[in-house]
Amino acid sequence: MSGILIIAEQRRGELRPGTLELVTAAQGVRRSGQKVAVALIAESPQALVPAVSVAGVDEIVTVKVAVREFDPDVIEAAVQALIEARQPSLVLLSHSIDAFGYAAAVAARHGYGFASDVFGLEFQDDALLATRGGYGQKVSIEVDFPGKPVVLLAIRGNVYKPPEGTATPAVSSLAAPPVKSRVRSVEFVEPPASDDVDMTAAEFILSIGRGIGEEANVQKFRALADKLGATLGCSRPIADAGWLPKSRQVGQSGKTASACKLYIAMGISGAIQHLAGMKHIGTVIAINSDAAASIFSIARYGVVADIFEMADALEEQYS
Amino acid sequence: MKILVAIKQVAALDEDFEIRADGKDVEAQFLLRDLNEWDDFSLEEAMRIKEAWSGTPVEVVVVSVAPAEADETLRKCLAKGADRAIRVWDPDVEGSDPIAIARVLAAVARREAPELLLAGAQSSDHAFAATGIATAALLDWPHAAVLTQLTYNPGARSARFRRELEGGLLHEMAIDLPAVLTIQLGINTPRYASLRAIKLAAAKPIEVLTLSDLSVPASAVGEAGSLSHVRRMYVPEKGRAQMIEGSVEEQARRVIEIIREAAGGAA
Amino acid sequence: MAGNDAVTRILFQDFAPGTVRLFYVIGYAAIAVFIYGVYVQVRKYRRGAPAGMPLNLLSRLESMTAILLNHRMIKRRDRKAGEAHRLIFYGFVLLFLGTATITLDYDILGPLFGVHFWHGEFYLWFSLVLDVAGVMLAGGLLYMMYRRGWLKPPKLDYARPDRTPTDPDYDRSNYRREDWAFLWTLLTIAVSGYVLEALRLVWLQTQAEVWDTRWWSPLGAAIAQGLRSAGLSDAGAGLLRRDLWWFHGLLALLFIALIPYTKVKHIFTAMGSLMFRDPQAAQRLPREKPDAPHPGVQYITDFNWKQLLSLDACTKCGRCHEACPARAVGAPLSPRDVILSLREFANRTLNAAELPAQAELDVHGKAPGQVSMETLWACRTCMACVEVCPVAIEHVPIIVQLRRKLVEDGEMDPQLRKTLQTIHKTGNSFGESKRKRAAWTKTLPFPVKDARKEPVDVLWFVGDYASFDPRNQQVTAGFATLLHDAGVDFGILYEGESNAGNDVRRVGEEGLYELLAEGNIKALAATTFNSIVTTDPHSYNTIRNEYPDFGGQYEIEHYTTLLLKLMQQGCVSTSRKLNLRVTFHDPCHLGRFNKGYDAPREILERLGCELVEMGRCRSNSFCCGAGGGRIWIPDPVGAEKPAQNRMREAARIEGLQVFVVSCPKDLTMFEDALKTSGLEGKFVVRELIELVREALAQPQATPAAPVAA
Repeated sequence: MSGILIIAEQRRGELRPGTLELVTAAQGVRRSGQKVAVALIAESPQALVPAVSVAGVDEIVTVKVAVREFDPDVIEAAVQALIEARQPSLVLLSHSIDAFGYAAAVAARHGYGFASDVFGLEFQDDALLATRGGYGQKVSIEVDFPGKPVVLLAIRGNVYKPPEGTATPAVSSLAAPPVKSRVRSVEFVEPPASDDVDMTAAEFILSIGRGIGEEANVQKFRALADKLGATLGCSRPIADAGWLPKSRQVGQSGKTASACKLYIAMGISGAIQHLAGMKHIGTVIAINSDAAASIFSIARYGVVADIFEMADALEEQYS
Repeated sequence: MKILVAIKQVAALDEDFEIRADGKDVEAQFLLRDLNEWDDFSLEEAMRIKEAWSGTPVEVVVVSVAPAEADETLRKCLAKGADRAIRVWDPDVEGSDPIAIARVLAAVARREAPELLLAGAQSSDHAFAATGIATAALLDWPHAAVLTQLTYNPGARSARFRRELEGGLLHEMAIDLPAVLTIQLGINTPRYASLRAIKLAAAKPIEVLTLSDLSVPASAVGEAGSLSHVRRMYVPEKGRAQMIEGSVEEQARRVIEIIREAAGGAA
Repeated sequence: MAGNDAVTRILFQDFAPGTVRLFYVIGYAAIAVFIYGVYVQVRKYRRGAPAGMPLNLLSRLESMTAILLNHRMIKRRDRKAGEAHRLIFYGFVLLFLGTATITLDYDILGPLFGVHFWHGEFYLWFSLVLDVAGVMLAGGLLYMMYRRGWLKPPKLDYARPDRTPTDPDYDRSNYRREDWAFLWTLLTIAVSGYVLEALRLVWLQTQAEVWDTRWWSPLGAAIAQGLRSAGLSDAGAGLLRRDLWWFHGLLALLFIALIPYTKVKHIFTAMGSLMFRDPQAAQRLPREKPDAPHPGVQYITDFNWKQLLSLDACTKCGRCHEACPARAVGAPLSPRDVILSLREFANRTLNAAELPAQAELDVHGKAPGQVSMETLWACRTCMACVEVCPVAIEHVPIIVQLRRKLVEDGEMDPQLRKTLQTIHKTGNSFGESKRKRAAWTKTLPFPVKDARKEPVDVLWFVGDYASFDPRNQQVTAGFATLLHDAGVDFGILYEGESNAGNDVRRVGEEGLYELLAEGNIKALAATTFNSIVTTDPHSYNTIRNEYPDFGGQYEIEHYTTLLLKLMQQGCVSTSRKLNLRVTFHDPCHLGRFNKGYDAPREILERLGCELVEMGRCRSNSFCCGAGGGRIWIPDPVGAEKPAQNRMREAARIEGLQVFVVSCPKDLTMFEDALKTSGLEGKFVVRELIELVREALAQPQATPAAPVAA
């Protein structure tokens, strides 16, 4: 029977975290006897084999390509070759920035079943069901793919946990088709760091959002963060407006607060891009004056209060 | 010199919304429509290129695959400086997923033959992040997504750009033209369209096309042309945070307790 | 002696005919220079846009004359300067009339009809009156010199907040020089006149009809006595007189010739500005012309002739500068300097024979004479400047018309831009769903009538802040309860109500304002009511004064008037005397804009409160800073806010317990300012409605805390 194909994502020679989460996602919809294969498309795919040799992976396919970094034309051709060669019933990839650049292209070109930003996956009466969000994540939408022998899904990050345990899957290779690439990688540019903060290492983060109102108020929360011993972070609108440097942005495109154990969000409503950056954190306290803010549905603790009054009270009481 | 900008009139949910009887969407009366935030940025990027270029005039054309209610949003785009607006609609388009929409957009792009097709990286309602790139595949054009910076001289054979990766890292790349580029928030500052400008833009015509004008068969759009099928839409049971009640002082006290518990060694 | 033809002053006495002719030639030349100067100024005004207002010349002339004669506007906030100016004004007018009388006698009636009247009894009284007039003039001038040179009041400090010292037009010394030149010249003319009078008396002392009547010119006579005692002979006096005569005459003619080129022109421009003033300036802003090439004012020629004329009326008295709340907290705005910049710009561009190219007529920017957007956006449109200006300059409409161009170009704070887009989308500045507008009614134990569905007696236009802001919702619920218990048949528009648009208009988004106004008027047209009441002064102002221009004419009152009526009729009877020491903050849009000072004070009196007024009260009330869209614009970091400034003023009242407001924005701004200025605990901020509820006969059940927005 056709298997499940996972397209691994790598950047600068390193495996991206979302890939292993896909292995877990695959287990949930794998039929008995169905094999799960992980494809490594890279300049040096052999080097990545150990990283994907985890429990739940039956096979690894390496595809050696001529480019070091992301190239949609190359990846699309490689993925297409993999699908044609292996005829999987389900292809999983991470709903990542790279996937934004190629996933829909593969699906559209060949008419594969397609859904993106999927956070729920199951089989119901022999039909594959994917759940994704709608209307700004206020509703959930269940979709299926009648009449589609191959379904390509981009899975949301931080929903599935990477598998524990290792394995020794069989490794094979596939020749990459020759591609005339129309996009060229030039270089990576680190965002200008105007302060030496490393959000990825911070264990306690106090993040501020649009609720703080004006730039002048940033100071107040910076002082509060200092007092509490937290690193000051922010949501996208604050960084876009230039009130804090981009290095402080937490969220889908901002720094993933990977070491964070305690997160306080003040004046953040919970737009999905921000939530993506904090899903994994153990303790999240959301403080917002709007009782209906979406952040209260994912935070562990919620406080409905005026954030300025709360900042004053915290500052006063914390010693 | 032409830049085609694909825009979407997105819908946000009003208070106390209700799901339709067929369970597949929200009742129309609870949908509040507006221009997709990402498309505001892509239109502004097109205007920036147009206004900075002193050579042969650049024409900015906005296109939307939508019913008549989207005219209001197209008018806003005209008020912001777009030269022309095209709206494509046909009852058969109802129920299209992003790929089905992309088939129509690709047909418009073939007709208009622009040097650049800009789209938003995603839409604020359903966030598929697919329409632009799917259109590129159907046109077999070079494509790139999530642009946070673009350098393009109209008439040039290639353009330079930066896409914004996870963690804030930027990836600088070059791309051959014509191409499809999807735009990320923050690439520029979208201009304000005053009510006066919007009123004046009402004088500019919106060209309305049907599927037959574009030679797109009904099988390419709607549910038939979609790559996914909606079974149902529902309001998920939300997990709820443990709410901390009391006066501000009491709430602050509890928060500090939690900080001490959780931080433990971290604080 | 009385009726004696010989009792007169012989003009040009003992001058050779050639000398007299020379004098007349110089005189006519001076007049020609004067006329040319007037021509240039009038040409400048005509280069502006048409004013499109009804002229009603006669009634305007009447009211202008009344203001001139009673000087009530100049006396405001500076009584001594007002009185001194009155002396100068009357002195100058009398002296001018005196010269005109002489001219009438000598140059017109005499040569044409052989009629002379300037002699005898008439001449003597004439001399006395003019001597007194001269003393008035000189006295006034001396006081002004003392005020300017010694007292140095802050409002006469020309330091401008909208430029930095490195800017070329920062330095104002040329204005100061002109001010002093004006004072000294007039004083010199007056003093030399007296000395001349005295010299003539000494010279002609041997003529009885001159010397014996000398005390009819008391000051001249006194000086003459002094000169004689000092040993001056009549011959000596005659020589001096001839030279001083020329000096005095030439100086006076020079003064006249230069009137249209100097500050002295305010004599005419002030009259013009007063005559053509709009009594509803700032309350009712002008509509945009539908076929205008661009909205608002971009070029100096977009201003109408009346505005250009009023730019010339400014005498830099500084009252607007002193009154402005933005200026008071250090913002780069002084209404005076906006006017002076525009005036300098107009003079530089429109005085020339050929009108410069249009690109050079753009008044927006930071070059000399231009107005920057930081200046324009600092304005709170509180109308303190317009209200106090003695020459009726209308700063606020000028600023709003300049803003209209900025809005069209999107040149505004991002937060303001977002708010305007939000108002367009949802009809309110909070971004809340329209359905939630009347959510506050759900907390009440009684239903509130829906005016869209049934007729009501009083339609209550609630307003954004009162509907959506949690703190203000408490007041709104309180007022609803008051009305309900008083048996008033009232209703609201529920979702049919949108932001009334007052502040949107003052931001300069005229298109959005029209949309809001038309929408509200349409909603009101579909309802049946007798009158409108509103708890929001901003809505009150625009519905009352501006909606009629859009077809919406209603009887509308602010809640304080209605509440007072209910109290007078006994429908609302407060038995408890509150015995609180309070002060009342007049909301700009109720007080200064619409003269609604008294009703709230009467209510406070009925409540048994001891009202202690702040220094800046009633028409001089100090704006909370929220107007003109500023509540949607972030304040600069670290700067004082107007509301904090006001709180400190209130804190100076010994034993103050309550700071009373009657406007939702005031409540929000002042409660916040109370905390941030560190005065929390000294007194509280309360809405007048809350005080009334406290004092009511039966304790009312308080509505549950309103739904958070």
